[in-house]
Amino acid sequence: MNTAYYSLWLQSSQLRTAIILTSAVLFSVLCALALIATAGVPITTALTAFAEGAWGSPYVIGASINRSLVFALVGMGFILADRANLTNVGAEGQIAVGGIVATAVSLYSGCAHLPDGLSYGIPMLAATLAGALWGSIAGVLKAKVGTNEVISTLLLSFIAVWVLYGCVQSEALLKQPMTDGAALPESLPIPDSTQIPNIFISSGFGLHLGLIITIILALILLVTMKYSRFGLRLSAVGLNPQAAKRAGMQVASTIIIALAISGAFGGLAGALMLQGDQQSLKAGFSSGYGFDGMVVGLLARGSISGVFIAALLFGFLRSGGINMEMVAQVPSAIVLVVQGVIILTLAGTSIWLSGSGAKK
Amino acid sequence: MMTYELAAIFLGSALRLAAPLLLAATGELVSQKSGVLNTSVEGMMLTGAFLSAYGSWLTGSPTLGLLIAMIGIIPLSLLQAFLSITLRSNQLVTGIGINILALGGTTLAYREIFGARSNMIVPGLDKWTPFGLGHGTLIGDTIFNQVWLVYLGLVILILTGIILRYTTLGIAINAVGTAPRAVDQSGLSVAKIRYGAVLFSGIMSAAAGSLISIGDIHTFTEGMTNGIGFLVIAAIIFGNWKIGRTTLACLLFGAASSLQFQLPLLNIHVPTALLIVLPYLLALLAVAGLIGRQTAPTALTQPYQRS
Repeated sequence: MNTAYYSLWLQSSQLRTAIILTSAVLFSVLCALALIATAGVPITTALTAFAEGAWGSPYVIGASINRSLVFALVGMGFILADRANLTNVGAEGQIAVGGIVATAVSLYSGCAHLPDGLSYGIPMLAATLAGALWGSIAGVLKAKVGTNEVISTLLLSFIAVWVLYGCVQSEALLKQPMTDGAALPESLPIPDSTQIPNIFISSGFGLHLGLIITIILALILLVTMKYSRFGLRLSAVGLNPQAAKRAGMQVASTIIIALAISGAFGGLAGALMLQGDQQSLKAGFSSGYGFDGMVVGLLARGSISGVFIAALLFGFLRSGGINMEMVAQVPSAIVLVVQGVIILTLAGTSIWLSGSGAKK
Repeated sequence: MMTYELAAIFLGSALRLAAPLLLAATGELVSQKSGVLNTSVEGMMLTGAFLSAYGSWLTGSPTLGLLIAMIGIIPLSLLQAFLSITLRSNQLVTGIGINILALGGTTLAYREIFGARSNMIVPGLDKWTPFGLGHGTLIGDTIFNQVWLVYLGLVILILTGIILRYTTLGIAINAVGTAPRAVDQSGLSVAKIRYGAVLFSGIMSAAAGSLISIGDIHTFTEGMTNGIGFLVIAAIIFGNWKIGRTTLACLLFGAASSLQFQLPLLNIHVPTALLIVLPYLLALLAVAGLIGRQTAPTALTQPYQRS
């Protein structure tokens, strides 16, 4: 290729971002293939199983997309906080809090008997608010005491995950009443009417209403970040809090609101996982989804379309990986290794990316 | 009733459970002092636990196993250092990546090597009662009868405290974590000091992991560190980045874990989750300023870029 063209390519930051991201993903895929080969599973068997699990039928495509929605919500929350130069690493805990509240409200508030829409809408809303409250703790600490939000969201995350553990271990809380001595540490299944209903039922995709909610939220977020005064305030606080303060902006409340909204996305993601997919609360229910979602947010480099692309990548990767383990006996640990490689490769290439996100 | 015997058993088990925290915290504190929040301590402990169990099984010598773990962790530490220091990646993200990689990698390697012989017992580190301290007595046999690595860890902890406080190296490490630019301008290399700190953290994490696998239960199980690495980070936050307070925090957290096993013996029923969550809650209260003023190194999590 002509060198002049080549330098022009590199100057186009979007293209460069795309090239670097694609190479990083390709590198990770190569690592995966090498690992599968060393595990003694024929590559074609493994890949067929992966493809079948990820996009083999309308139903599994729907399942992959439903999974992606959780990552997309967490990712959106991450980039919103990131705009104000805040790193929310607490999505794992916010998902847990959302899951706990969605379960409790679904089971014990009489929601099940409410008219359609309210019966599943109220638990979702409650979970969202709970996530917002959980996220705002870190916001208040940052604004009032100056606590590094990375540390506080990480600690809050662990607290929430263990609170979830406690909730499903205790019959006084959410653990299902003991039947014959061998009841699992999980909650009762939530009533059918509190589950998020499927859409496009005749298509066989098994997509749930969360898809539409996520798309609407994405549009709202897009408009908010691009055109609203709040979006401007976020960027101003992110770029230079001192200058924002001198310009008369409410820096403290912006920080609190940003982390609250970021947490709200996590809480809603928890509701989606519970009410859309799992139906009963278990201890390991949020395992890793919050951290994956954070990586999705990071990959997106501030762009909402980027969030969706990365979320789909992770959603299909998870679905395919699960099937690869079940059908082709490829250890799921390989999927973990590949994910680790993807995260590290992308983290490592971050200084060469000049994306639109407010990255330092 | 809390008898004399139960109290001694409690103290012994608290020290045993605190020991891996103490070892890993010694390294992690140095890393954080230098400005690198090494969240991969969890994955490094797990890798250390695996490597020492494998090494001990392979050579028949637990001491060699420990050595293999401490050497084998170096590439992983260098990866963490290279990504977060040279390539200036987000330290948390690299930490998460390494933790996932370590969980997947050790699980895969364990099944590959041990296969059906899962949870196979491997030779473990010897216990030692220092200077015959109360040997044969209740105190000697319950409290002071620990794996020798615990005592070595305490010596390293004290040495690290002295180095951080009284030597030029210690001052340089502190300075890199608070004012990297000034250090750079004084002619010292920010990157070299941080690389060293992360490497030290990795080696100490590997030793801590070894204490869990070949020091305690003499086998490896998948994901056996189970969040202890994050407890280490909580201990440092609770300890306000001071070595004495961090040590106390580790002992306190060790005691809290030990209560899980002791309270049922006394017929006291406290939910396990409450005891597990306690350290994180205390750390959160500490950073919230409710337990004294907390001062993290100002450059913590900030990559340094020469301009």
